[in-house]
Amino acid sequence: MEQILYYVKVSWVSIKRAPLPYALTVFILSLGLGVFFANATFYYQMNSDPLPHKSDKLFFPMMLLVPYECADCKPPSVLSYANVQKLKSSDIPSAEAAMYSSDGYLRLDSTQLPTPVNIRLTEPDFFRMLDVPLLHGAIWPDNKSRQDIVLRKAIALKIFGSTDVVGKQLLLDDRSFAVVAVLDDWQMLPRLYDANNGNHVDEVEDVYIPLETGYDLNYLSNTQSQTFDDADYRQLATDGRSKAMHQLQYWVQLDTPAQQQAYVQFMTNLAEDEKKAGRHPSPVNNQLPAMRDIVAYFGGESGDIKAFALVTLLFLVVCLFNASHLSLNRYLSNQYEFSLRRALGASRWQLQQQMLADVLLMTLFTISGALLIGFGGTKLMNYLWPINALFARWDLTLMLFLLAITLASSYLVTLYPALRASFGALNQQLKE
Amino acid sequence: MIQLKNLSKVFRTELIETHALRQIELQVNEGEFVALTGPSGSGKSTLLNVLGTLEHFDEGDYLLDGQSVRGLSDRQLSALRNEKIGFIFQGFNLIKDYSLLDNIELPLRYRGISASERKRRALEALELVGLAARKDYHPSQLSGGQQQRVAIARAIAGQPRILLADEPTGNLDSLMARQVMELLEQINRQGCTILMVTHDPDQARRASRQVQIVDGQLSDAAMYDPLAVKLA
Repeated sequence: MEQILYYVKVSWVSIKRAPLPYALTVFILSLGLGVFFANATFYYQMNSDPLPHKSDKLFFPMMLLVPYECADCKPPSVLSYANVQKLKSSDIPSAEAAMYSSDGYLRLDSTQLPTPVNIRLTEPDFFRMLDVPLLHGAIWPDNKSRQDIVLRKAIALKIFGSTDVVGKQLLLDDRSFAVVAVLDDWQMLPRLYDANNGNHVDEVEDVYIPLETGYDLNYLSNTQSQTFDDADYRQLATDGRSKAMHQLQYWVQLDTPAQQQAYVQFMTNLAEDEKKAGRHPSPVNNQLPAMRDIVAYFGGESGDIKAFALVTLLFLVVCLFNASHLSLNRYLSNQYEFSLRRALGASRWQLQQQMLADVLLMTLFTISGALLIGFGGTKLMNYLWPINALFARWDLTLMLFLLAITLASSYLVTLYPALRASFGALNQQLKE
Repeated sequence: MIQLKNLSKVFRTELIETHALRQIELQVNEGEFVALTGPSGSGKSTLLNVLGTLEHFDEGDYLLDGQSVRGLSDRQLSALRNEKIGFIFQGFNLIKDYSLLDNIELPLRYRGISASERKRRALEALELVGLAARKDYHPSQLSGGQQQRVAIARAIAGQPRILLADEPTGNLDSLMARQVMELLEQINRQGCTILMVTHDPDQARRASRQVQIVDGQLSDAAMYDPLAVKLA
């Protein structure tokens, strides 16, 4: 320990000997890493898996059950109510939920100003499948229509001023709903259950009501809906369940490979039966992507973030070269001391230990600078791309990753110069 | 103690080869004080650097305590320098940012000696060179002669068996040079073998033996003469 502290002291003395070149090295490295951090933050968060234990068990069935012929069409990513019911006839999934989203206005009573809210119209398995945490109450027990509502914690606080509001009434678009549950803090990032609409970068919805209620009350989808034949999407309450109005997202939970295989077969059989019944002329084309792959399936990966990832990586490499060059100058100006230490009995390994102390100090200074620049960078990116703002957050894993990158960069910047300095001709440098 | 057998050293560039040392045969016994003399560029310092393992040689062999240094690893050479050899340089080579005590402790650190023992030995060495009261001074606060005495203290703090001094009085005035020489003689009397490069004939005469190098070769007069050995 005493020797380690000595190495740190030697490093510090060396820094004080030429503080400006050192500060410049740290600044250049911090700049490269800070810009890299800012982008890495978004890249990491947008590509993270919010349900790592389950995302390979949740699937998004899609079938080309449309009343037109198309040989190379992809199946639509939304299903009609009738098709969902046919898929629901299978008992293979251990959970299943159909859903869509809409907008509305919420208020406590008619004297209060309405608050605009995002609504998810869904079924109870939605909460179970996605491990949604409840703070108070319970989800409605079945898929029947009822004027029950589940509130997100923030919206409960906004409307009622508290979260323990189960049983209380409120108005959603001036229709009375009873609060049956309040969610605990929940922010699924990315929101993969809505990736087919490219909405996986948005916040989770403010309120949740039963799917059937949504149909009954004619809540129209605010994202994707497709209608065929004479169906009119505005007549959801009357025609939504019977006509070719495709607007439902549908998720199933298939826990084992056997279940997954069986479900694929079930979908194939269903598509063939539909074809035989003359309800769709296209070739059978079923898709069953897992939640883990859903963003890639729908091509929802941000091109901007990817391009920036490449640019920031290149920028980091340029900064590494520059910092390494500055570092080399610093080490060469200290080469005399290296040589003296070697002449007095320090082995190259002991000099490398000294170098590690240099690396640690540089890491300490650089990570501080890089985090500051990274923080500023994320703010700038939030400003330029507000849609990605939710992803500007650092967690422990990301911080450890950033620390490891900084450590590796500091080591790279120090390694070559230190090796050069410790392999010089001793007698020559001592004379100089 | 030191035996050089047919040792040669060549400096090579793309254009020329310079034979710095040619077939050197030299033996130095324990306790000797050997002055290496010769004109500038004759190979004295190169020989001293080879003896201190700061420089590799091309041919022949160098035996230290009967063991060849040829083929030793960097770690072994470092340990050898650290434990057996003390260096005194013409330019003192003290680290200006460190106190005298820190400078003297430097070689002891790489030997893994405890902090208290390091301090004890460093103070003892400073005491010997008469600078114990200034242990917390920095080199720049001392005169050239004092700095060289600190360098000597650093060289002897590790209790080396060989002291290699490369023109130790080259940067000093005559009074300080005399003080340094007296100190070296005192150290030699305590049993430490000293090899000193010098241009000064008076100082060379104070050594127990003179070895002259001309054009990288030992002159005849400088061949080993047992009668000239000054026992400690």
